[in-house]
Amino acid sequence: MFSEIEACIPALRRYASALLRNGQDVDDLVHDCLIRALDKLPTRRGDEDIRAWLFTIMHNLFVSQRRRASVRPDTESLDEQDGVPTGIPGGQEDAMRWRELMREVNRLPEEQRATILLIALGELSYNEAARVLGVPVGTVMSRLFRARERLRQATTGQMITGQQGGNLRRVK
Amino acid sequence: MTGPMHPITEEDLHAYVDGLLDEARRAVVEAYLEAHPETAERIEAYARQRAGLRELFPDRSSDPLPSQLIFSRLAEERLRQRRRPWAAIAATIAALAVGGTGGWFLGSRPPGGIAAFTQEAAASYQVYAVDKRRPVELSAAQESELRRWLSNRLNRPVVVPDLDATGYQLLGGRLVASEHGPAALLVYENAAGTRLTIYLRPIAADSPSPIVPIDIGAIDGCAWIDRSIGYSLIAAEPYAKLLELSRYVRQEVRSSG
Repeated sequence: MFSEIEACIPALRRYASALLRNGQDVDDLVHDCLIRALDKLPTRRGDEDIRAWLFTIMHNLFVSQRRRASVRPDTESLDEQDGVPTGIPGGQEDAMRWRELMREVNRLPEEQRATILLIALGELSYNEAARVLGVPVGTVMSRLFRARERLRQATTGQMITGQQGGNLRRVK
Repeated sequence: MTGPMHPITEEDLHAYVDGLLDEARRAVVEAYLEAHPETAERIEAYARQRAGLRELFPDRSSDPLPSQLIFSRLAEERLRQRRRPWAAIAATIAALAVGGTGGWFLGSRPPGGIAAFTQEAAASYQVYAVDKRRPVELSAAQESELRRWLSNRLNRPVVVPDLDATGYQLLGGRLVASEHGPAALLVYENAAGTRLTIYLRPIAADSPSPIVPIDIGAIDGCAWIDRSIGYSLIAAEPYAKLLELSRYVRQEVRSSG
């Protein structure tokens, strides 16, 4: 049990770093999640997947923190650095493309944003993601469909594939 | 689940992007995408979004964790600061220590877990620590022989920690029987005549556990698991002192192991 929980910590940090915007908040959130997990451990249902259980705890903490702060993230005023981790690998072109992607992700409605990030980074099945987010799996699916389509529409035109010069291909 | 022959749904396409399809279904989706380039282009865009997010927030599993996220430390601190009823703490310990599939449920006893282990430790303490004349079989004067004997019988190196700095001096040790095979008991005594025992034996656990309090009737102590050996330290001392002694012992064992 102990090592199973430990093994999930990097994934929790990964999801938290996408949900939140600054490094300290990320580790604070994961820390609070682990403390809460310790308190809940004796009453945990034995058949529950540890990973989904931990993500659920963290997601609920995130939601209640967000509610308490009552200040929604100021996505409109995000400048170039906001919400985009520093030290992005890859070349200039990739960096620009990802910055663009992240800006659009941050403009999604909060539930869609959390859903697409959880699915991309949490290594969970759709059913597990539904448990984590506390909604039916159909809701997860429709949020995911809408988020992905919205991102595609928003980034079409900026999204360029093919790395070699002269081989650039515009995606629809 | 959907068989390979069911019509392709939007959910299939997303599950394809997220790597959630089994092989058979994936092949069907791939064939479908071959035949439907417009859809394929859309799905490719989704896959790029996913890949982009995963690159933006890379997996940092190999980076060291900040100290506030070291789980064993958190567990230790949490159990110490929280003055909860012993039963609840014991449940946390058991849930952590037993591990494996399914874990341990409240109300059932873990068969080979730390609860059983602490019972053995308390029994050995009760039998031997109170024996004024012959608490040990090999005395401190035969320490190297004692260490060899215990290491042979437990089939792994046993460290006999030096607790002089804490005021406890080694009296000696003995081999004791447990349901899980041979175990070792080390007995110490301080200037006031207070006895302290360290009980240890191999224990099936896939990871170290924090030092946790144990409470068996009138006996107080601490237990922990380190490198697949369970340790239990018992003495008639206040809990804070027991914890401090346990930390010291764990450190001694680690630095000489």
